Amino acid sequence: MRVWAQSRLVQKLLRGTSATIAVFTLVLFVASTSQPASAFPAFARKYGLRCSACHESWPMLNYFGQKFKDNGYQLMNDRDAPIWQNPGYWPVAFRFTPFWSRESTNKVQVDTGEGTSGLQRITTTGFNYGGLDILSGGTLEKNISFLFVPSSDELGAFHFESANVRFNNLLHSPWLNVKVGKFELDSFISEKRTLTLSGAGGGYQLFHFVPVGDGNIFAQLGDNQLGVEWMGHSMDDRTRISAAVFSSTDGNPDVGYGQNSYSAFFAASHAFSAGKLGVQRIGGYALIGQAATSFLTQNGGDPIPGSGTGNKSFSRVGFEALFYLGPKLDVQVFTQHGSDNAWFGACYGDVFDTGCNNTDGVLPDGARNPTWNGAFVETHFVWNPQFTIIQRSEWVRMSQQAFADTPSNLGNIDTYVFGYRYNPFMTSRAGFAFHNEFSWFRQRGGAPDGTDLSTNSLMAGFDFVF
Amino acid sequence: MRVIQSVYGFAGVLGLILAGGFTVSAQDVPDVGPHPPQPMRAMESHIGNVTGHAKDGKMNFRRYCAGCHGDLGDGNGENAQWIDPKPRDFTIATFKCRSTPTGTLPTDQDLYNSIGRGFTNSNMPIWNTFSPQQRADLVAYIKTFSARWEKEKAGDVIKIPPEPPVTLESIAHGKALFTKLECWKCHGPQGKGDGPSASTLTDSKDQPIRPYNFADGRDDSRFKCGSTNQDIYKIFMTGVDGTPMPSFADVIQPNDAWDLVHFLRTLQIHRHSKENEVLAAAHGVIPPYVEKQENNPAPAAQPENKPPSSGGH
Amino acid sequence: MRTKQMLVALLGLLLCSSLMFAGTVSGKVTYTGTPAHQKPIDMSKEPSCAKQHNPPITTESVVTGPNNALNNVVVYISAGANDEGQVPSQAVTFEQKGCQYVPHVLAMHTNQELKVVNSDQTSHNIHPLAKVNREWNKSQPPGTPPITEKYDKPEFISVKCNVHPWMHGIFAVLNTSHYDISKGGGDFKLPNLPPGKYTITAWHEDYGTQTADVTVTGNETKDVNFTFKAKAY
Repeated sequence: MRVWAQSRLVQKLLRGTSATIAVFTLVLFVASTSQPASAFPAFARKYGLRCSACHESWPMLNYFGQKFKDNGYQLMNDRDAPIWQNPGYWPVAFRFTPFWSRESTNKVQVDTGEGTSGLQRITTTGFNYGGLDILSGGTLEKNISFLFVPSSDELGAFHFESANVRFNNLLHSPWLNVKVGKFELDSFISEKRTLTLSGAGGGYQLFHFVPVGDGNIFAQLGDNQLGVEWMGHSMDDRTRISAAVFSSTDGNPDVGYGQNSYSAFFAASHAFSAGKLGVQRIGGYALIGQAATSFLTQNGGDPIPGSGTGNKSFSRVGFEALFYLGPKLDVQVFTQHGSDNAWFGACYGDVFDTGCNNTDGVLPDGARNPTWNGAFVETHFVWNPQFTIIQRSEWVRMSQQAFADTPSNLGNIDTYVFGYRYNPFMTSRAGFAFHNEFSWFRQRGGAPDGTDLSTNSLMAGFDFVF
Repeated sequence: MRVIQSVYGFAGVLGLILAGGFTVSAQDVPDVGPHPPQPMRAMESHIGNVTGHAKDGKMNFRRYCAGCHGDLGDGNGENAQWIDPKPRDFTIATFKCRSTPTGTLPTDQDLYNSIGRGFTNSNMPIWNTFSPQQRADLVAYIKTFSARWEKEKAGDVIKIPPEPPVTLESIAHGKALFTKLECWKCHGPQGKGDGPSASTLTDSKDQPIRPYNFADGRDDSRFKCGSTNQDIYKIFMTGVDGTPMPSFADVIQPNDAWDLVHFLRTLQIHRHSKENEVLAAAHGVIPPYVEKQENNPAPAAQPENKPPSSGGH
Repeated sequence: MRTKQMLVALLGLLLCSSLMFAGTVSGKVTYTGTPAHQKPIDMSKEPSCAKQHNPPITTESVVTGPNNALNNVVVYISAGANDEGQVPSQAVTFEQKGCQYVPHVLAMHTNQELKVVNSDQTSHNIHPLAKVNREWNKSQPPGTPPITEKYDKPEFISVKCNVHPWMHGIFAVLNTSHYDISKGGGDFKLPNLPPGKYTITAWHEDYGTQTADVTVTGNETKDVNFTFKAKAY
């Protein structure tokens, strides 16, 4: 199963794909979207630090964990090189999440008889598990680090979520770090490290949002990308800045279609102390790029790899912040202004043909750039390092549809998530959390009949990493 | 809307069922782990104009420190057995990096600096991501582990006179002191940490400990207690308590101490420094130091105390 | 007025009697079994010291005398003396001579002045590994003046020189001046004890602690003996 396909869950639902697939996809969302590249007990074992030293609540990083990551998984003392480790040390960890969930979608098209169909609510409950993530990362030598994450869905089909090498502190400068391979884009608010796991609320909508009827499947902040990244930071990691260039393939190797087009991601942030409140971080990001809108075919319709043409541009820019209100409460704020070229808006570009792939090469009259604004606010109440309550509210609002006659609110999204994570023990060897969460999602005009689609998820399970 | 409400209700019920033995009501969340037997001492720290409070440092101590230093602050955290050097035991209140004389308590600022600087040759990371307030709170909390902080004051901060210019003569005198004070017995004639006594050294908890190897590392080489010339000065004037490194405060004059600092810098052969520039200008040869009779009543070292080979390079 | 006179008279009587009827506790410390063999010390790394000892001296963790006598045992009054406040004004001296501590066991009253002297031609560092008291560590090159220190809490403190790892000594910091270190034939003597009930404690660095209760009634000598079980290692 391709990663991007899962993250396009909403699109699938919108197109009224079969109800069963829709519901299953919701479950798959738990398995794949939010997990890989997360908490990493192999580091805890290497350095003898508790999970809580690097994670506000695992897998979400705190400032110390962020600095450790920005140093290339190094503490920057003289124990970073693997030669300091016991020869038996093996930098591998894995994560697995068995859970029970209840998924309910309000309007699913179902067959009601010979040749007739209707809409009805479908609710499923059952036990499931997320896929397996194998996390391997660390240092090959002082200042040369790597991350390799083979990740499987729950059926055992593997893909490489991350695979990169990073050269740290070139010329002895923390401002010069270069990473090559497949990696997560450097937004300090990370979907890979989100504390929410449920079907309707596990991921960040803004990290994957595509307007209804838009063919741009490439500009997904939340998917790991194939490229090169420069990253720099101050010694205390208060200031951090990065720029990445990557192929517009949404991180999929060998697809070819996007391989002649590139996108770039820029992020910068600064943290400062605010007395008793704690350390605050504010920053911004910009994802700008081009992706192909057509390609050549052979053998009667097979796409020819590397033949993508008709590059069109897109952008996602926004503000992100992490505010601490005392030692126990933090608030993440993330905003986005997104815009796609009119060609994407007119349903060009979806080379995988998941439902929006015009190929006639004619831009319809009156097509405009679809644009939107969105934001989410996520609050963490950290009662103590073992118990965290999580809340997130997310909204996406279209500000301009591709066509003037489209209802102005088509595709608008509201999502609310509430949950908690409880770690019954806290050591430097393994992470284990009981997770309970409820989420609710609604998209305007998202149901097959053009009315609003809403789903909700309830999940309870055990999230563990060792 | 009714559907949603019922689902919320369901969520709560299910949460309780699945949580089973775990306590999920926030009020009852157990503070897992042992706690100091006596009620926590109300302790403060003062760093500049920041006042740290022990009660505010407790949670971060558990979050960041207790894995090694232990919930009781006794250096017996779950990782202690795997770590060398061992984590500091806060219950005895003996600290390595101080600006105060040997045997005395460090200042709050000393502890604050140690947290932010980390200990380069140990597992102690650089905790400079904390805010000043968070660090001050941790300092206050660390002080609750020993009653000494209630009964004693921190020692008087040693005075460090202004550093004289780096000269070849200063380096030469420093080298003579290195020989006379027998620094080489542990640190080795070339400062490589290979002196005759090096292999026998243990710290105050009987753990083997290595003398500092000056020659190791390049420009990024760091001393345990800081990287400036003043930090080196402090190390041998205060001693590194809990380790074999004694204080020389009673036996070395402040200006002589600076000469020793200048010589020690030349032992860091791969590090760029003013001292190494001066030495390079003299073609790497440290001339013999001619002792001025009038300012040193101490007798010269006996011949057998000479290091086996020259300290220059 | 009369009461006051009476009190003064009574006090005088008490003082007199304590001087007149000063008891003594004395005895021997012995061991049973086989004490650990004391190994000769190789001081070849410090020639200026090595040449002072011919034949080489041995370690001093267990020092014995004839007839199973055990020396270097600190015998002191651990309860009943009530002289914590009476700190002797004269200092005790701990000498480093021939890379050896003289005496091996040095007892002192809390807050009594301690002088550490280096009589050698080499640098020593004096590192008493105090746990209850403050732990300090000072360098003392040859020819430098004595180090002056004091300890304010009772503790048996192991003293070492990190430069010369074979050097090992003991500071016995006590809350009393009624102490002795067994010597010769394991003999000790605690004189000038006013009448009263006392707990006598004997402490040996390897063999631990023994106590005995004793009541001194007048001008007498009470015999108290201690026997330690030797460890063969």
